[in-house]
Amino acid sequence: MKRKSNRKSRSGRAKKTGRSRFEVFAPRQARVHDTVDALVKASAQALGISLDPAWREGIGFNLRLILRHAKLVDQFALPDRTEPALVFYA
Amino acid sequence: MLDAPAPDDLGAAGHLAAAVASGRLSALDVVEATLARIRKRDRLLNAFTAVTERRALDRARGLDEARRGGKRLGPLAGVPFAVKNLFDIAGLATLAGSKINRQNQPAVRDATLIERLEVAGGVLVGALNMGEYAYDFTGENIHYGPSRNPHDLKRMTGGSSGGSGAAVAGGLVPLALGSDTNGSIRVPSSCCGIFGLKPTYGRLSRARTFPFVASLDHVGPMARHVKDLVLAYDAMQGFDPDDPACANRAAQPVAPLLEQGAEGLRIAVAGGYFKSRGAEALQAIDRLAIALGVNREMDIPRAERARSAAFLITASEGASLHLDRLRRQAKDYDPAVRDRLIAGAMVPASLVLKAHKFRRWYREEILKLFADVDVILAPATPCTAPLIGQQTFMFGDREIPVRANLGVYTQPISFIGLPVAAVPVPLSPLPVAVQIIAAPWREDVALRVAYALEANGVASAPRPMM
Repeated sequence: MKRKSNRKSRSGRAKKTGRSRFEVFAPRQARVHDTVDALVKASAQALGISLDPAWREGIGFNLRLILRHAKLVDQFALPDRTEPALVFYA
Repeated sequence: MLDAPAPDDLGAAGHLAAAVASGRLSALDVVEATLARIRKRDRLLNAFTAVTERRALDRARGLDEARRGGKRLGPLAGVPFAVKNLFDIAGLATLAGSKINRQNQPAVRDATLIERLEVAGGVLVGALNMGEYAYDFTGENIHYGPSRNPHDLKRMTGGSSGGSGAAVAGGLVPLALGSDTNGSIRVPSSCCGIFGLKPTYGRLSRARTFPFVASLDHVGPMARHVKDLVLAYDAMQGFDPDDPACANRAAQPVAPLLEQGAEGLRIAVAGGYFKSRGAEALQAIDRLAIALGVNREMDIPRAERARSAAFLITASEGASLHLDRLRRQAKDYDPAVRDRLIAGAMVPASLVLKAHKFRRWYREEILKLFADVDVILAPATPCTAPLIGQQTFMFGDREIPVRANLGVYTQPISFIGLPVAAVPVPLSPLPVAVQIIAAPWREDVALRVAYALEANGVASAPRPMM
C-alpha cells in the first residue's frame, strides 16, 4: 500500500512539472540517458557548436562512454597535494 | 594478391645502405625500383596518399653524385622511407588523414625527423594514409579509403598509422614513420606483423607534425627488422628546441648495444589486466616467454584505471585542439571522429584534471616496478587484424567495439610515456605483436630483447600473402 501511495505522489509531481509519466518512472539507465542527452544539447549551445539532430545519438553514445571511463578515474582518491601531470616528463 | 617483396638481403634498410654506400648499388636504382613497387602494389594496399617521385629521384641522383665525388654517405644511404601524412613535407599540405586540411597552405619545411633521416642518407618517397586526425585504431579512412592489410586485403591494418603498417609489411618501403598517442604505432605493427618503436615520451622530436593530444603524442619508426628500426632511431635522436616536449638529452645510440641481446635482463610477463582474453595474444606471449626463459608474472597496478584516464585525456585534449574547426565545419569530419571529438569537448575539466593527477600517481607506482625488472612483456592487441568494416570483436566473453578498444593494452603504457618495442609473432594465418616495455629512456633494453627474439626466429615480420 505504501508503495502505491508513493507512486501516486510521484505521478502528481510529474503532472506539476510537466514531465511525462515515462520520464518519472524510467529505469535509472534511461534517466542517465536523458541527462546525457540534455548535457549534449546544452553543451553544444554553450560551446557554439551547431548540431545536426542526426548527430546527437552518436555524440551521446561517445559522451556516455567517456563518462564511464571518467567515473573509474573519479573513484580513485588521491591526496590534495598530488601534482597533475599536465605535460609529462618521463 | 601481392608480389613478393624485395628479398630480405636487399629489402633490409641496412643492407641497402651498405650496398649504396659502397657503390654496389646506386641510390637511383634503389629509388626507381621502390617507386615501381609502389605504383604496382599500392593499388591494392592504399598505403600512400602522395608519392614524392620527383623529389626522391633528385635526392637519389644527388646521393650518387656525392658518392662519386668521394663523399662518405650516411648509415641510411639511399634507403627509401615514407611518413604518416601528419608529418610536414615541404610543398605538400599536411593532411593528418583529413579532408579539412586539404585547404591548408603547403608546408614550407620538412618535419625534423624527415630532415634527420635525410641527413643520414634516407630518401623520402611519400606520405602515408592514416585514420583521420589520428583518432583511430583501425586504419580506416572515410575520405581516402582504408589502408589494407598485406596479409589479407579484406582486413584492417590497424591504426592510426595504417598506411605505415601497410607500406612496410607489404614491402613497399623498408622503413616508415608513424605517430603513437595511445597505440597508433603498436596497433598497426601488431595487425600487419612488423616491428615498431614507440620511444620514451620526449625522446624524438615532434616538430612540424600535426598534433593530436600534446601530452600523449609520440613519434617513431616502423620496419621489418630490428636493425632497421635502430638505424632510423639512432639517426633521429637528439634535442630539438622546436618541440617543447623534446627532452634535452644527448643521443644514446642503440646500434652498438644490440648484440648484448637479452642476456642478464630481468623479464616478467604482465599479469592481471594484461592477462590476455584473446587466444592469439596469449599464444604470442607464451612463445616469447618460453624463448626468453621467463616464468615470472608481474601485476601492473591500476592499469584499467590508467587506460580510462588516457581515454579521458585524449577525448578532452583532442576536442580542445579541434574546437574551432568543429564550430566551423563539423560536417567535413568523418562522422565517427566528429562524434567522439564533440563528445570530448563536453567533458567537465574537473574530471580531466583528476586524470592528470592520477597519471602522476600511476607513473610513480610503475617506476617502482622497474627496481625489480628491466622488461615487461604485454600483448599489443587483444586479437589479430579484424575485417575492414568490422564493428565489434569478442574480448573474452564480451563483445566490444573495435574502434575504441584495439588499443586496450597499449593505452596504459603510453599514458606514462614508457618506451615500447612492438615485436611481431608470425602466427598463422595472421601475425600479432607483443609489447616489450622498458623503463623511461631505456629503449636500448627493449630493442636488445627485440633483437634477440628476431635473431632466434621467434619474432619476425612475415612475408605478405602471395
